[in-house]
Amino acid sequence: MSPNILLLVLVALTALGWFVGRAKARALYTGKGSLHSLPAHHATHLALWILIPALAGWLIWSIVSPGLVHSAIMLDPAAATLPAMEMERDSIISEAFQLASDPAATAFNPAAEGLVEPIRAATMKFNLIGAALVALLAFAGGAFAYTRIKANFPARTRVERAVMGALLVASLMAILTTIGIIASLLFETGLFFSKVSALDFLTGLHWSPQDGTGPEVSKTYGAVPLFWGTIFIGAIIAMIVAIPLGLMSAIFLTQYASARVRTWMKPMLEILAGIPTVVYGYFAALTVAPMVRDLAEKLGMENPSTESALAAGLVMGIMIIPFVSSMADDSIAAVPSAMRDGSLAMGATKSETIKKVLVPAALPGIVAGVMLAISRAIGETMIVVMAAGAAANLSANPFASMTTVTYQIVQLLTGDQEFDSAKTLSAFALGLVLFVVTLVLNIIALRVVKRFREAYE
Amino acid sequence: MNNPLSVWQTPAMTARLKGRYASERRFRAIGFIAMGISMLFLVFLLVTMLAQGVGGIDWAFLSGSDSTEPANAGIWGAFKGSLLTMGVTLALSFPMGVLAAVYLEEFAPKSPWVDWVEVSINNLAAVPSIIFGLLGLAVFINWMGMPRSAPLVGGMTLALMTMPVIVIAGRNAIKAVPPSIRDAALAVGASPVQAVFHHVLPLALPGILTGTIIGMARALGETAPLLMIGMRAFVSTPPGGITDPSSVLPMQIFLWSDEVDSAFVQNTSAAILVLLAFLITMNGIAIYLRNKFETRW
Repeated sequence: MSPNILLLVLVALTALGWFVGRAKARALYTGKGSLHSLPAHHATHLALWILIPALAGWLIWSIVSPGLVHSAIMLDPAAATLPAMEMERDSIISEAFQLASDPAATAFNPAAEGLVEPIRAATMKFNLIGAALVALLAFAGGAFAYTRIKANFPARTRVERAVMGALLVASLMAILTTIGIIASLLFETGLFFSKVSALDFLTGLHWSPQDGTGPEVSKTYGAVPLFWGTIFIGAIIAMIVAIPLGLMSAIFLTQYASARVRTWMKPMLEILAGIPTVVYGYFAALTVAPMVRDLAEKLGMENPSTESALAAGLVMGIMIIPFVSSMADDSIAAVPSAMRDGSLAMGATKSETIKKVLVPAALPGIVAGVMLAISRAIGETMIVVMAAGAAANLSANPFASMTTVTYQIVQLLTGDQEFDSAKTLSAFALGLVLFVVTLVLNIIALRVVKRFREAYE
Repeated sequence: MNNPLSVWQTPAMTARLKGRYASERRFRAIGFIAMGISMLFLVFLLVTMLAQGVGGIDWAFLSGSDSTEPANAGIWGAFKGSLLTMGVTLALSFPMGVLAAVYLEEFAPKSPWVDWVEVSINNLAAVPSIIFGLLGLAVFINWMGMPRSAPLVGGMTLALMTMPVIVIAGRNAIKAVPPSIRDAALAVGASPVQAVFHHVLPLALPGILTGTIIGMARALGETAPLLMIGMRAFVSTPPGGITDPSSVLPMQIFLWSDEVDSAFVQNTSAAILVLLAFLITMNGIAIYLRNKFETRW
C-alpha cells in the first residue's frame, strides 16, 4: 500500500470520525445547558484521537521498518551468497534497493539482481504490517474517544489544550532553527579545525584551499584576504555609496518632498529593495563591470580585470540605499517635533535645522541602521558571486578582483566534493564567522535602536 | 540708520542671509539629486533589461525548458520548479508562522523561554540567506538524506527563512486588533481560544496576508540558499513532483548568465523580466490588500 493511499484513508477516517462524533453528541442534546461542550467540540476531540495516535504510530514505524526490512533480507537464502565484507555487501544491497524501487535502473553487480525479489517481498510485507498498525491505532483511538462522548465530558477543554500544544510547537520552531544553525555550523567547524589550525585560518594571509591535513595544508587556509575583501566591498565601497544617498533620500522625502511626490517615490524605492539580488548581480556583471574596467583603463591601469571590487561594491551600495533610507526615515520621524519646531522658531533655516538638530538627535538610530545595512551587505551573495571574482587579493585597489566570504562558501560547496573533505568543511567555518559577525552587528544595532526610542518616549 | 531694526539691513547681514538661503537651496538640491540617482539607476536597470530581453519573450520561451541551444531554451521548467518550491514554502511557513504569532501575541506567558523565542525570531529575520542554505545542506541533505536539487528541500529551507517574516508581520497585525474585540467575545462566553480564532484572527488576516506575500516574494527571488542545496542542475524537462530534481527562476537566470554563448544574454534578460513581472504583481497585490482591508480602529 503506497503512503498516499494510506494518508487518504486516514484523512477519510478522520472526517468520518468527526461526523460520527457530532451525531452522537447531538443525540445527547436534550435542552439548553444539557451538554458541557458543543457537538463540534466532541467531533473534533474524536477526530484528533483518530489522527494523532495513527500519525505517531506511522512515524515510529517508518523509523523502525527499514531496519526490519534489512534484517529480513539478511535472513533470506539469496543473501547467503553475498560477500562477508561489510562495505561490499552494503553497496550490493543498496544497489538492489535501487533496482527494486526503479525497474528501469541497471545493476552493476549481478548479485544485486537476485536480491530484488526478496527486497520487494519484504518491503511489501512490512508496509502492510505498518498500514495495519496505523489502521489499528486509528480505530483504537477513535473507539476510546467515542466511548467518552458524554453530556458532561469537557471536550472543549481537551480540544483547546491540543490547540495550545500546536501553538507552542509552532513557536518553538524558531528556536529549533536557531539551534539547528548554530549546532550544524559549530559541528562542521569543529571537524574543520581538527584538520586545519584555527590560528592559521583566522590570521593566515594566503588563501588557496587544498585537501588533506598537515601544517603545509593548514597554511593554505588563511582567511584574512576573504575577510578583507568582504569588508572592503560590503562595509567600505557599498557604504560610501549607500550612506550619503540613502540618508539624503530620506531627508528629501521626509522634509522637502510634497505629499504627492512622496506617495510616488516611496513605492519606487521599495521596488529597488524588492529586486532579487541575482538581477543586481547580472546587471553588475553585464553593465557596470565593463564600465568600471574602461574607467580603470582610462586612469592608466594596465590590463584591468573585468571583475572588480568596485563594480560589486557600487551595485551593492545601490541595493542597500532603500534599506538605509527607511531606517533613517524612521529615526528622523522619531525625533520629537518640539525639537524641530524650536529650532525653526529660533530662525534657523530648514537645512540648518536638519543638519544641526534632527540628524544629531537621530544619530543613534541612523548608526544602528547603518550597522544593519553592513550586516546585510557582508552577507550578500549573488552580487559578489557574479561580479567580484575568485582571486583572494589583499589590496586596497578598488579596481582589483577581490573575493569575499560568501563567494568562497558558494565556490567551495557547489563542486562535487566529498562532504568531509577539509575544503567543504572550511565553507562551514566561513559560514560560522559570517553568522557570528552579523549576529553581533544585529544585536548591537537592535540594542541601540531600543535605547534610542526609549530616550524620546 | 539709527533704527534698532536696521542691523538686519546692513550689507554684511544681507550677504549672510543670502548665503544661508543659498546653502538651503544647495542642501535641497543635493537631496533631490540623491533621490534622483536611485531612481535613475532603477530606470536604467529596467530599460536595459527591457531592451535586451523583450524580444526573447514568446510562447516557445514561456513553454520550453532549459536547453543547450539558446534558441530552444525556455523557462517553463524553471518556472514550474519555482511554483513547486513556493508551494512547499507556503504550506510550511504560513501555518507555522501564524500559529507562532498567535501564541507569542495572545497566549505566551512571561518566561525566559518566550524571551528566547522572541530573540531568535528577530535575529533569524536578519541572518544572511546563505546561512540558511548551509543549514539546509547540513541538516536536510546530509543528515536526513533528502534528495538534492529537489523543490521539497528548497521549499523547506526557504520556509525557515520566510517564517520569521510572517511571524513578525502576524504579530503586528494581531497587535493592531483592539482589545475590545477580545473582551466582547470573552464577555459573551467564548473561551480565549475561541475569541482568538473566531474574532481576532479573521480581523488580523489582511495584515498577515500582506506580510506573507511580501515574505513569499522575497523567497521567490532568493538564489543563494538554493545554490547551497544544489538546485543548479541542468533540467531539460519540467519537474513532475516535489522530489524531482529541478531548477527555479532566479537559478535559471544565474545559470544562463554564466553561459559563454552570447545568445543567452537575451534569454537571461527575458527571464529577469518574467521574474520582475511576478514580483511586482505580488507586491502590488500586497499593497492592494493593505489599502483595501486596512481598518483604523
